[in-house]
Amino acid sequence: MEHQEYRELLELHALDALDVSEARVLADHLNNCAECRDELIRLRDAASLLAHASTPAKPRLEIRDQILAKVRAEQTQDRPSTATSPQVVPLTPQAARNIWTIGLRLAAGVAFVALLTGVIVLWRRDLRMRQEIAQMSRQVNTQQHELVRDRDVLGRQREALALLNSPTARKMELAGTKTAQSASGTFVYDQKTGRAILMAEGLPATPADKAYVLWFIPRGHSPMAGRMFTVDASGHAMLPEHMPPEAMESAVIAITLEPKKGSAVPTGEIYLSSASS
Amino acid sequence: MQAEPLQISDSDLLHAVARGDEAALAACYDRYHLILFGLIMRILHDRAEAEDVLQDVFLQVWRRAGDFDEARGRAFTWLVTIARSRALDRLRSAGARARLGEEAAQTPRDEVGDAALDALKSETAAMVRRALAGLPEEQRRTLFLAYFEGLTQTEIAARLGDPLGTVKTRMRSGMIKLRELLGQSRESV
Repeated sequence: MEHQEYRELLELHALDALDVSEARVLADHLNNCAECRDELIRLRDAASLLAHASTPAKPRLEIRDQILAKVRAEQTQDRPSTATSPQVVPLTPQAARNIWTIGLRLAAGVAFVALLTGVIVLWRRDLRMRQEIAQMSRQVNTQQHELVRDRDVLGRQREALALLNSPTARKMELAGTKTAQSASGTFVYDQKTGRAILMAEGLPATPADKAYVLWFIPRGHSPMAGRMFTVDASGHAMLPEHMPPEAMESAVIAITLEPKKGSAVPTGEIYLSSASS
Repeated sequence: MQAEPLQISDSDLLHAVARGDEAALAACYDRYHLILFGLIMRILHDRAEAEDVLQDVFLQVWRRAGDFDEARGRAFTWLVTIARSRALDRLRSAGARARLGEEAAQTPRDEVGDAALDALKSETAAMVRRALAGLPEEQRRTLFLAYFEGLTQTEIAARLGDPLGTVKTRMRSGMIKLRELLGQSRESV
């Protein structure tokens, strides 16, 4: 809209007769246009002349007294020290003025304390909220980690399922040795792709400096190290593997406990092994 | 005390009220209660309600006189604006608009007041009345619907069954006339 178009809204605005949307648009213009602001002031003065079109009328006489009584009551409320405190010395007219100032100062003091309290309360609330947010974000992180882990587990289970259903899959049962009589396991591998999976249970908890290692021992070859793994609290482990082509035909699978840094050949005791074929 | 307030300008009176001067509020009441009560009566048509609103108005004058700034309009405008908006608020909250119907849109009834009231009709008031009487009936009617009933342009168009454009033109013309009048009344003061 052009300035002139806004200008033409001013007469109606002075009568408060614009519709809400137009009034809003004009208000924005008025913020930026001193000329229109000045004109609106004059137009409002002009509109107020319409009050003279009504016939002056007389209210009851007591209305004046009622108004002044209310005003007096408000003044007393505003200055509680003069009305309520018995310790205040009788006031001289000069003191009456001072008490007004004191009242104002008191009010300002009270307002300041209220403001300060407000600020402190807000600051503390802010602090508490930040702590809560930090804690929540930690929880979210943990949950995300758990979610990722669950998704990994689920992925592996799905992989295992696919592998087990594959027509070219072969299964090897692993039996616990004397060292771990209650341990058992299954090793499944796909003859075509070499994809494999180890599922073990009943294995003793993994010592801190050690890890279980899966070995492929093809006939006539030296043992080949597979994955290193640990077991969970219930002695359970499930890990994806890849069957080396050399081991595909005939191999023994064994699981030993080895130093965490790894070893080229099996050094520790055998916990699980497949029956040699 | 009776002679004193007459020498003080409206603006100074309001500044005194802002400083907490009770006598200044009383003087302000004495000076303007007739015109303001007339205005409120014109809007509400109910004496008891109008007296209630008049009290509200002067309490608001008392509390908010510090907001008055002559750079943003005349003291008279400030007072009349408070009275009008309080009365219109009451009118709307009472849902009384329907009851009033077209009544407020009529040309002001030239009630015969008592002698005191007649004496109070100022020169400005007489000038405004003459000017309004000189306006075409439709213009005057539109101005009154906006001013005394608080209707918007759209509401007025609906009420009168006139096109919105026509209503706008009438209101603008009426206001331009009043604006000229204001200029004259300033020169004459």
